[in-house]
Amino acid sequence: MLLKNRIISKLHYYMIVPAFLLFTIFFIYPLLRGIGLSLTDYDGMTKANFVGLDNFIEFFNDKRALNDMKTTMLFALGSAPLLNIFGFLYALLLDRKFIGKSVIRTIIYLPAVISPLIMGYIWYFILQPQRGFVYSIIESVSSNAVEFNWLGNSTMALWVIIIVNVWQFVGMTMVIYLAGLQAIPEELHEAGKIDGATYLQSIRYITLPMMIQPIKINVITNIIGSLAVFDIIIALTDGGPGYSTESLSIYIMRKCYGSFTGYSTAVAIILFFIVLIPVIISFKYLNSKNVEM
Amino acid sequence: MKQFSYKIIRLVIIVSIALMALFPFYVLAILALTPSSVNFSEKLILLPRLYFDNFFEAWKISNIGQAIMNSLIITVGAVILVVVFGSMAGYAVARVKNKINNAMFLIMLGCMMIPGIINTVPLYTLMISIGGINTHWAMIMVLATNAMPFSVFLYSGFIKGLPITIEEAAIIDGCSKIGAYFRVVFPLLKPVTSAVIIINGLSIWNNYAQSVFFLQQQSMKTIPLAISMFFQQYGAKWHLMAAASMIGLAPAVLTFIIFQKYFIKGITAGSVKG
Repeated sequence: MLLKNRIISKLHYYMIVPAFLLFTIFFIYPLLRGIGLSLTDYDGMTKANFVGLDNFIEFFNDKRALNDMKTTMLFALGSAPLLNIFGFLYALLLDRKFIGKSVIRTIIYLPAVISPLIMGYIWYFILQPQRGFVYSIIESVSSNAVEFNWLGNSTMALWVIIIVNVWQFVGMTMVIYLAGLQAIPEELHEAGKIDGATYLQSIRYITLPMMIQPIKINVITNIIGSLAVFDIIIALTDGGPGYSTESLSIYIMRKCYGSFTGYSTAVAIILFFIVLIPVIISFKYLNSKNVEM
Repeated sequence: MKQFSYKIIRLVIIVSIALMALFPFYVLAILALTPSSVNFSEKLILLPRLYFDNFFEAWKISNIGQAIMNSLIITVGAVILVVVFGSMAGYAVARVKNKINNAMFLIMLGCMMIPGIINTVPLYTLMISIGGINTHWAMIMVLATNAMPFSVFLYSGFIKGLPITIEEAAIIDGCSKIGAYFRVVFPLLKPVTSAVIIINGLSIWNNYAQSVFFLQQQSMKTIPLAISMFFQQYGAKWHLMAAASMIGLAPAVLTFIIFQKYFIKGITAGSVKG
């Protein structure tokens, strides 16, 4: 404590203030006002009237919103686990020494550098009916290429969106897992080997329990990111066919532009709770598995 | 023998996932380097030619030079804010353990879960009242705010791992208490700063969801906005879009390659051990 007193001055207490002040002005204040707006019928122009919880009740009668909620959840259910499974496998694969390791890691991370919007456009180009890359390949080997239209089929389109998202961001999850793998002391695996553990056993009983912290970061950021999915859908399907691949965040944006401002913020708050529930569950679960170093 | 075939299989898998990762870049390159007169449905083109007119044309119509300037100003500004404020806040969280700091930290972390869109409308009215629509400085503030929680998290994790004796030594050698932070601790934060620059810098560079609201003027468009124009306004001009995307990607890829050396180290120390 004495040591601390000599180093920490009064000024250090306030070092968090600039960051928090910025955050309060540009996040917390609009957030609180947003919560207020969700209780009104504000349309972006005329005066807002207080309507109580009407917006929230309306959500549950809004077929398009409920469908978008389903789409968003299905997307997250597909995307978050795949990102983590592949990110983990990639990390295991690339953790050992080999020539060109850092070049390969850089390459695998590289798709995350592209904006999701451009990534979506690229894949739209590849998959578009009648004209895309895949179409011309199918056409050259089969006669009924005309039927090829993944993006026009709501189930296939959602899968395409999930796979493109995983394709793009698997490098990011991989990097966090790689960092985790490097923090595991080598001796643990050696001790396991001496006790006769196979490769799979040492992953299950040594690596996994030591990776709770990176798993926590990845699972939680992936759930949050997946449930807020926006750009990639705009570029790939624009929510179509119909509204079948529209995510809740796209719907909120459209409603907000379409003079249902109050309602759109109410939907956004509902989205927040949809994000919160899986995050809390996985946090609790992963915390219960935590091992002390 | 078994060992050897294992190695071959591993190599094949590694090479194929690397190729998969490069595939989108390959498609972009082919599109950008092929004349727009070539129709892809008639002929499958697998090798890029050396045709650069798309770049010139894309540069001209989308005004992408201006877009790069806008993106640079906004990204550099926001990243500086995030690095300076974020590292200071991370230091306070790591070294000064009191309830107020902890509460502020937890509030910021908790807000990471809130979809940005809840804020968009009130933020829009706030931006109008402070005259921030179509300005660089307000966009810098907004995007820096969005990036703040995760960087404070990374910085505080990293600083917790630094022994406090570093500052003690600096003070004994005659550094002031605050000077110990700026002169001695801050330079040690290079790995985590690289991670913050890569993760937040890229997401700011690529930001679309907020920019599309707050930067509506033609002269204020950032790269993602300029590129989406090829799709939304000029009707799917693929070759030009690809050329413009490649121009816009270059600074991002360059930054990534410069900072990636410290990237994994920074993430390890900043988040995994914390």
